Amino acid sequence: MAYDYQAVHALEGTIGAIAERRANHLAVHRATAMAMVLASPGRVPEAVGILVANGDFEVRFSGPGEWLVLSEVHAPETLAAELGVRLGDAAFVIDQSHGRVALTLSGPDAARILANGVAVDLHADSFPVGRAANVLCHHISVNLARTGAQSFDLVAMRSFAEALVGDIKIMARSHDLSVDFATR
Amino acid sequence: MASLISCPHCGMRPKEEFMIRGDAAPVRPSAMASDEAWHDYVHLRNNPRGRVREHWQHVAGCRRWLLVERDNLTHAVFSVADAAAEGGQ
Ligand SMILES: [Zn+2]
Repeated sequence: MAYDYQAVHALEGTIGAIAERRANHLAVHRATAMAMVLASPGRVPEAVGILVANGDFEVRFSGPGEWLVLSEVHAPETLAAELGVRLGDAAFVIDQSHGRVALTLSGPDAARILANGVAVDLHADSFPVGRAANVLCHHISVNLARTGAQSFDLVAMRSFAEALVGDIKIMARSHDLSVDFATR
Repeated sequence: MASLISCPHCGMRPKEEFMIRGDAAPVRPSAMASDEAWHDYVHLRNNPRGRVREHWQHVAGCRRWLLVERDNLTHAVFSVADAAAEGGQ
């Protein structure tokens, strides 16, 4: 019997089609190219240099010498290999494209909604655009990144995605939120 | 500021993001040390009240091991450092 695991999104069937897009919107990305990169001992500056050398990669802080790397240029199937070739033995690369799910929360209340579950100061002065951090959202670990004044990306392990979306809906109960797959 | 730990890599975070391993004082004996030394290291702990040094891991953040010096009665935190940096690595 053949299985085609990769074709099924972790949230497939859990999100109903929405009638209207509300002021705040949670977009679930269908296929995001993602990988974890851990610099080899003593080679952090070298790895950073390679990662930011061109605009191919979006690099998000995870820990010292460790990053979550996303790409809109490379496909989920090729990102890890591409990173491996460029980084050589300066870093270890582990593909996460099918292991994690990426969500974008945007709207005027985005930071307020997140503040109901995340214990990090999300004011633009202390969490500016481009900043990323691993944080706990209720009981689920997520990589949170500010991508705009009113938009944040959340990346969580795929098996937690459904619970995370449920939590975000509860966090947004006093705000206007719609949830749907991204159309990009 | 009860229950907040200032991670050197991530900033101020709630204690829920961390796992506490316990006392940072015991030093692992050599492999051939006496049974008594190993028994001490594995099983015996003091239970002090006040200022303690502990290993904490920031599991929901940077996942680094930290050395936290705090008062276990008031939870006043005196210092937090990366355990590897502290160990000279
Ligand atoms: Zn941390």
